[in-house]
Amino acid sequence: MEAIINCTDIGFSYNGTSVLNGINLSIQPGNMLGILGANGAGKSTLLKILCGVLKPKSGKALFNDQELSKMDRREIAKGIAYIPQDPMFAFPFTVREVVLMGRAPYIGRFEFEREEDNEIAKNALKTVGISHLKDRLINEVSSGERQLASIARGLVQEPGIMILDEPATYLDVKHRTEVMNILRHLKENKGISIIAATHDIFSSLFYFDDIMILKDGNILAEGRTDQIINSEILSLAYGIEVVVKKENGRVFVFPNQ
Amino acid sequence: MTLLFILWIITAFISIFSGTYSIGPLEAISNLDELSRTIFFQIRIPRVLMATIAGGTLALAGAALQALFRNSLASPFTLGISGGASLGALLAIRSGLAVGVLGFSMVSISAFVFSILTMLFVYTISKVGGVVATGRLLLAGVVANFLYASIVMFIQFFSTFTESLQTMRWIMGSLDVVGFDTVWKTLIFVIPGCAILLSLTKDMNLFGLGDDVASSLGVNVRRMEKKIYFATSLAAGAVISVTGPIGFVGLIIPHILRMLLGVDNRIILPSSFLLGATFLTAADTLSRTIISPVEIPVGIITASIGGVFFLWLLIRTKKEIII
Repeated sequence: MEAIINCTDIGFSYNGTSVLNGINLSIQPGNMLGILGANGAGKSTLLKILCGVLKPKSGKALFNDQELSKMDRREIAKGIAYIPQDPMFAFPFTVREVVLMGRAPYIGRFEFEREEDNEIAKNALKTVGISHLKDRLINEVSSGERQLASIARGLVQEPGIMILDEPATYLDVKHRTEVMNILRHLKENKGISIIAATHDIFSSLFYFDDIMILKDGNILAEGRTDQIINSEILSLAYGIEVVVKKENGRVFVFPNQ
Repeated sequence: MTLLFILWIITAFISIFSGTYSIGPLEAISNLDELSRTIFFQIRIPRVLMATIAGGTLALAGAALQALFRNSLASPFTLGISGGASLGALLAIRSGLAVGVLGFSMVSISAFVFSILTMLFVYTISKVGGVVATGRLLLAGVVANFLYASIVMFIQFFSTFTESLQTMRWIMGSLDVVGFDTVWKTLIFVIPGCAILLSLTKDMNLFGLGDDVASSLGVNVRRMEKKIYFATSLAAGAVISVTGPIGFVGLIIPHILRMLLGVDNRIILPSSFLLGATFLTAADTLSRTIISPVEIPVGIITASIGGVFFLWLLIRTKKEIII
């Protein structure tokens, strides 16, 4: 199958400091890729390049065989949804308004949403399970609910791929599981590819098909999840000794201290 | 929005027919003597038009600036843009540059240049790590205002008594225009400025979700920011160069509307124009009639209403103010 996103030799630097070097990455439709790595390893920068927000300083990022930096922004927005780590809501929009903003690439400069757009937003709210919050103000719902609203906003873009920066980091265990289950549901039932940065090694084991580990802007390891999550690689990635233990078909991950 | 439009029509209607010299609606359409005709067509109607343009533009510019700074305390007045435009206009008038260049008034152009410079200054100062900090924003506005005020005072110091009085009057903000000439000259700047801002309302909404998300949803963020700088300076600068710094319209109006209609900029911006126009027309009517035949500068009325409102706003948003 054709890769939906294909990157070759991506490099990036902020003010002369190199952040990413020679990153190769490709993801097939309907796949779920987790990106792990210590803080400052370059995860967020890589994600922004993959969704066209940042242009790579070197190398090429292709989306469906088209070079992202040469594509129209609105066209990109119809194919790639980006959900940042800590979404900003500068004004008290309602949850429904936030979700409808995902329809922006389909709506003209002076147009309002059509009935069809409202329908799509309604379905997205239902998919992520927050239909009951649609008229609440976004800054008055919990951070977990805000994250779900952001995912619904991404969903109405009708993307082929969703790119999320630490979608569950700030959430409690219940909401974390909920978010990850929804992502898996989108992958399995809508065929949406998912790329997510995460610090949660434990849930990575259950949800991601593939894992890429970044260290200091380079790829430390990549491959099928069960092959990558092991003591040796994780210890290298985070710079402390990490133990991965398999017992009765269950896996435990903890720092050895 | 239709309701706001009707509100403006009513206010404008009342305003045209009220003043020291009374002209009734029936008289206006029937026979008017020479004096009444002059007052009606050369003073009253241009004045109401000017109030509409000024109030509408300042409120629209305020709403746009609040979207740009992602902060509901931004406005041409609080950011020092009014002060900058005033100084620019004053300098042009005093240096004898009050001539037209290719049909554009140099006074408006000078006001435009000063307002855009002020905006860049305040924007640069108040942005910390890509986010506008409220405290820095207001402080930068205060600094700009003080700086301009001191330069204005410096100019005042070397002025004759008459010049000085004129300037003083102008700084208080007044809609004292005669004839349609000034109205047209202002509109040359105001129409493109407001049109640009109204074309950006959808992008402003997306911008409220942060730079990266807006960009990922198809907005060219840097270009949008530049358009807003340019358009607000153009429109607000032109208005202020004629009326002087009429305060607080740009702050109060969008606020009231957000409380009533929600925060969608596609609704807030055009509504701000209409309500701003209505508010200033009403304030001007008040200023002409409250202690008739004396006309109080309209800036005194808007600033006193606005000052109280701003204070209430600060108290209400206490928890959000972080320096």
